[in-house]
Amino acid sequence: MAAHSDPHYDGLGHHISPVRVYWLVFAALLVFTGLTYAVSFAKLGPASLPVAMLVACIKATLVCTFFMHLKYDERFNLLVFVSSLFFMAVFFGFTMLDVASRALVDPIEGYGVYEQYNPPAAPAEAAPAEAAPAADEAPAAGH
Amino acid sequence: MSDSHAAHGHADAPGNNSPFFQHHFVTMTQQASAAKLGMWLFLVQEVLFFSGLFMFYIIFRYLHPDTMLWASEHLLDKTMGGINTVVLLFSSVTMALAVRAGQVGNKQHQVTYLAITIVCACIFLCVKYVEYSHKFHMGALPGHFYSYAGNIPGEPQTFFALYFCLTGLHGIHVIAGIIALLWLMKRSARGDFGPTYYAPLELTGLYWHLVDLVWIFLFPLLYLIH
Repeated sequence: MAAHSDPHYDGLGHHISPVRVYWLVFAALLVFTGLTYAVSFAKLGPASLPVAMLVACIKATLVCTFFMHLKYDERFNLLVFVSSLFFMAVFFGFTMLDVASRALVDPIEGYGVYEQYNPPAAPAEAAPAEAAPAADEAPAAGH
Repeated sequence: MSDSHAAHGHADAPGNNSPFFQHHFVTMTQQASAAKLGMWLFLVQEVLFFSGLFMFYIIFRYLHPDTMLWASEHLLDKTMGGINTVVLLFSSVTMALAVRAGQVGNKQHQVTYLAITIVCACIFLCVKYVEYSHKFHMGALPGHFYSYAGNIPGEPQTFFALYFCLTGLHGIHVIAGIIALLWLMKRSARGDFGPTYYAPLELTGLYWHLVDLVWIFLFPLLYLIH
């Protein structure tokens, strides 16, 4: 069997990655982990979540490509795996469409979201304290 | 046994003289590829299984971003999470190298790398134990078990339900992985695996990398919030 004499393939004709590749990928994973850890201390505000998720996706891709051998595997296995990500996106996407918009039709079931569309209690309670200045400015705004 | 295989007309295909070759497959390559497809289908199920809890995370973060931020910053230790990330990544390399040792038929390396992987998994669980007991002592627990004295905005008891569900389910996967790895170590030591038969090593490897993948997302989502 010719396959046995070739150091790049095992007895089943599957690719054997050099040991060096595994350690290089590990080094890259460590660098990205350090990066995401360091970035978490920099106050990026709203950008911190997309940055952290981008780094996590890069790390996940490295693991899938080299450790899980998807680079050398049958394409069908890649398709199977990516299909799970697709259905996960459908799950997340449609659920969030519901959660984020339910308050438009139902203030009780839309708990926690309803307030974003209808800021209720806070202005109502604050009104007595600021009644005087509000009264002064109201006519001005009217004219 | 080899007689029945000879009847296939593929008796000379690599691995078809292996005692682990099952009679309903034509070649060992076909057997391995069928097994791997089955494993990938299982991993798809795992992704969707975990995605239910990630959905919980997304909705909770959407409704209570302040609770998430406060609890993560004050009650989760980034350094502990970071150490666990490195430990798990390292265990993923050693797992991949154990599979490679199976491909090249190096028994000694298989056993060594599997042992290192198991040790890493145990270190991971020890760090988790320290983190969990810290939270138990503070009363930072789910639902009506919640008795933490600090004033956390929003719904901290729900945050800790989320935290313990996500990390707990992941931890159960780590424990299941350790059991599978111990079984593999026994088989490796017996010399079951070689260049034409290493499917159990490879499939457990795929599972172990998925456990690593889940943690790659859990770590920034739970520990590194700003």
